[in-house]
Amino acid sequence: MVQGSKQRDFVDIAESGLDQALSLGADEVSVICSSSREKMVRFSNNSITAVKEIDTTEVFFYLAKAGRRILGSTSDLDKNGIKEFLDRLLNAAASFKVTRALTSLPNQRLPTNEHSDYDKKLSNIGDEIAELANSSIQASLSSGAKRASGSLSLNEETIAIRTSGGAKGFDKRTKALLNIRAFAEDDSSGHGLSCATKLSNFDPEKAGKQAGSYAKRSKKPMGWEEGIYDIILTPTVAADMVQLIGRASSAFAVESGLSFLEGQVDEKVAVDELTLRDIGCIKGALDSRVFDDEGLPTHENLVIKKGILKTFLHNSTTAKRAKKKSTSNAGIIEPSPWNLTVDQGDYSLEEMIKVTKKGILMTNNWYTRFQNYRSGEYSTIPRDATFLIENGKIKHPINGVRISDALPRQLRNIAAIGKERVWIEWWEVSTPVLAPTMLINGARATKAVA
Amino acid sequence: MDEDLADLVISTAQDLGVEYAEARIHSSHFLGCLLKNGEGEPAMLSNSLGLGIRILNRGGLAFGATNNLSRSNVRELVKSLTNSAKASSKYIKRKVIFSRETSKTAKWSARERVHLDGVSYEDLLSSLQEIDNSIIQSNNKIKNRLLSLNTTIEEKYIANSDGSRIESRVPRVGFFGMLTASERGSTAQRMLQLGGSGGWEVEKKLALNDVCSKESIILGRVLREAKISPKGKLDIIIGPDVAGIIAHEHCGHPTEADRILGREAAQAGESFLKPNEIATKIGSDESYVSDDPTITGSYGFYLYDDEGVKARKRKLLDGGMVKELLHNRSTAKDFKTKSNGSSRAMGYDREPIVRMANTFIEPGDYSVDELFEGVKHGVYIKSFMEWNIDDKRLNGRFVGLEAYNVVKGEITNMVRDPVLEITTPKLWGSIDARASDLEFSAASCGKGDPMQGAPVWTGGPHVRLRGIRLGSR
Repeated sequence: MVQGSKQRDFVDIAESGLDQALSLGADEVSVICSSSREKMVRFSNNSITAVKEIDTTEVFFYLAKAGRRILGSTSDLDKNGIKEFLDRLLNAAASFKVTRALTSLPNQRLPTNEHSDYDKKLSNIGDEIAELANSSIQASLSSGAKRASGSLSLNEETIAIRTSGGAKGFDKRTKALLNIRAFAEDDSSGHGLSCATKLSNFDPEKAGKQAGSYAKRSKKPMGWEEGIYDIILTPTVAADMVQLIGRASSAFAVESGLSFLEGQVDEKVAVDELTLRDIGCIKGALDSRVFDDEGLPTHENLVIKKGILKTFLHNSTTAKRAKKKSTSNAGIIEPSPWNLTVDQGDYSLEEMIKVTKKGILMTNNWYTRFQNYRSGEYSTIPRDATFLIENGKIKHPINGVRISDALPRQLRNIAAIGKERVWIEWWEVSTPVLAPTMLINGARATKAVA
Repeated sequence: MDEDLADLVISTAQDLGVEYAEARIHSSHFLGCLLKNGEGEPAMLSNSLGLGIRILNRGGLAFGATNNLSRSNVRELVKSLTNSAKASSKYIKRKVIFSRETSKTAKWSARERVHLDGVSYEDLLSSLQEIDNSIIQSNNKIKNRLLSLNTTIEEKYIANSDGSRIESRVPRVGFFGMLTASERGSTAQRMLQLGGSGGWEVEKKLALNDVCSKESIILGRVLREAKISPKGKLDIIIGPDVAGIIAHEHCGHPTEADRILGREAAQAGESFLKPNEIATKIGSDESYVSDDPTITGSYGFYLYDDEGVKARKRKLLDGGMVKELLHNRSTAKDFKTKSNGSSRAMGYDREPIVRMANTFIEPGDYSVDELFEGVKHGVYIKSFMEWNIDDKRLNGRFVGLEAYNVVKGEITNMVRDPVLEITTPKLWGSIDARASDLEFSAASCGKGDPMQGAPVWTGGPHVRLRGIRLGSR
């Protein structure tokens, strides 16, 4: 599929795939034709290092025949190629044992006139993408950085679905993502993001300024001691924690022993102030979809309401096992969140700093890994500008910090939630999160021995 | 593979006057099986075939990819990339130039005794069910078992304007397991990843039943027997599992030349090594780490990289000295050297970048028993779960899973969650002995933007570290 492909092209492929699969004897069929066009500029040391144009279209099949289930994807969009691929899928499935877990695809009509955010202006940007990246670099330099690295990508995604349950859907969306890291010295860096579904909301200069400013403020990091600290997570860091909660709320994670939330529906898992939603399709959300992979219309799910865990995220199969209804989060095998949002709180960042006696302000993090997904014990590494807080004031920048904690403890020790929220998606946060700043009491900070 | 299509890319780009053009026709055939708590999830089968193109024009580098392989679309993509590279050159402070390398024509493949083309989903499922049974028989408290087995056949045809033409085929078998033991109100988890290149015979070589069975027993012992880990300054012996991740994180990544030059700064990060710090001593005389893509049967196996450069073993750390970096043609030019064949792309829609292949601490002369004999009071960390490292690869952490006290050279009781949190120079500087054994695990190494997961091996022998601060969770 190339630029200029029409809605009809995608719908035709999905429809043709459905017809062929049914004519070959499949009982249950979901066909998704999905296309992604990505333009990217990568830069480092204030210089563009690569421009990218990645244009892919694939067809995904879920087939069930006489109690046997198979998933397939192919990049061959030719009608004969698809027929050949379907033959292979069904021949392979014929030898399977009948599964006990078979769940019929839902019968559901989809709204025909809704789609996610799509911005033609964003889609039409050509070589100007390099200028956008450069504007971010220049903003970081004028804010105190000596050099900047990062990537800017413009994405257009188009998707059509047809299912044997009668779902007929089409959706398209755009998004622009900028990730910039600015350095004032080798050991002082700042991070900035801009994530938007429309060009008018995309602000690479603001992100560059933030990165440059953080880099400047984090110059000459000083000593600190290991111990227990109250930690302030700016939205980029809070988004990482929230995506971990989102993943743990998938019924697949629960069934696999990978969730610290197992067995806690309708129980208190967090402070009253925390309300977490997963929303399929809302304005500004970066991964909106109007339907899931089973053809159900997506909607809002309250995952945590005022600290109470309300539901896990389900597809039809996990829902059947749990004697619940699907939450429209399929994934045929694994239900997963679309866009996570944290309800806003009352605090500004300044107010959070003011109430912190002994704390650490984190502006970015990476490499979060679990010792035990079931207990939620993990550690993560703050990176870029990190500051020691003493008696309500930022004392000085620090580095070499690691936070070693457990998610259940953290959720019960959220002391403040910010009133400002921003959409976060980047290299380290793959599930979009509308994230506020968060203050968490009593986390353990450690460092490596030199 | 449509060799004419690759030639079309090169000729179209040359007609447009570019400095360099490269076409990679890249296919991947995947068959996967997932067993969750003994129940089979739907089979997964995917076929992808597409074209990745790189163009150098006026010092700008453009990468493009498509699976629309019509000649007209491919011509248009080449033109578009040529223009994009030119347009970006306005914002380039340092031109992208490739090192001169000898052009090659070659056809190579990984050795495949039992062809994966003939392996069915039922073969995968049956293997996983046997593994699942051995887990349950070994420890019926392993309540959660997520097991995955897959086969991949990766084929490439690479052509470039320097005249190289390389055709390849790498079949792989990969296993992933996540086991959760629940006992006495507590849980312990083990993540396992094993794999190799080759045919279905690899599945037998991996001895998955045996490995998973042993790990299941260990998880039970961790829950029942492990005592609080000692803290303080101790001698540590690490097993091959831990040695492998240390080789990968504390040596492989920081010696990637593109990170040292800052190209991955905003994503996977940079390196504590600076461009002028090659031949710097960062470890003890006993610190030896290599990366070798040419190991037969390895998960990261290849004989030519994705820029058509012949692969060879790289000695990264040699007696504690940084001996060699991992280079592609671009970083080699910047460092005024030759590429050592480290450029890899994980799909037609991904740019080739500097990657590790099979990174390991070289075995030494000691027997494993001799390592232990030299320890009066220490801890043996055989396997791990949690690990991470900062983006300069200086500040690492590994939390043990199977771990034991060592007293007067003897392994005594199990200990729970010992934490090794240490800087890279301290770590390499503390090694005083390496055993002669050598084992590998498989891993998927994440790097690049868009992200690419590269199949790699990590490995090493048993290694002794002196006087390390140990903590606990």
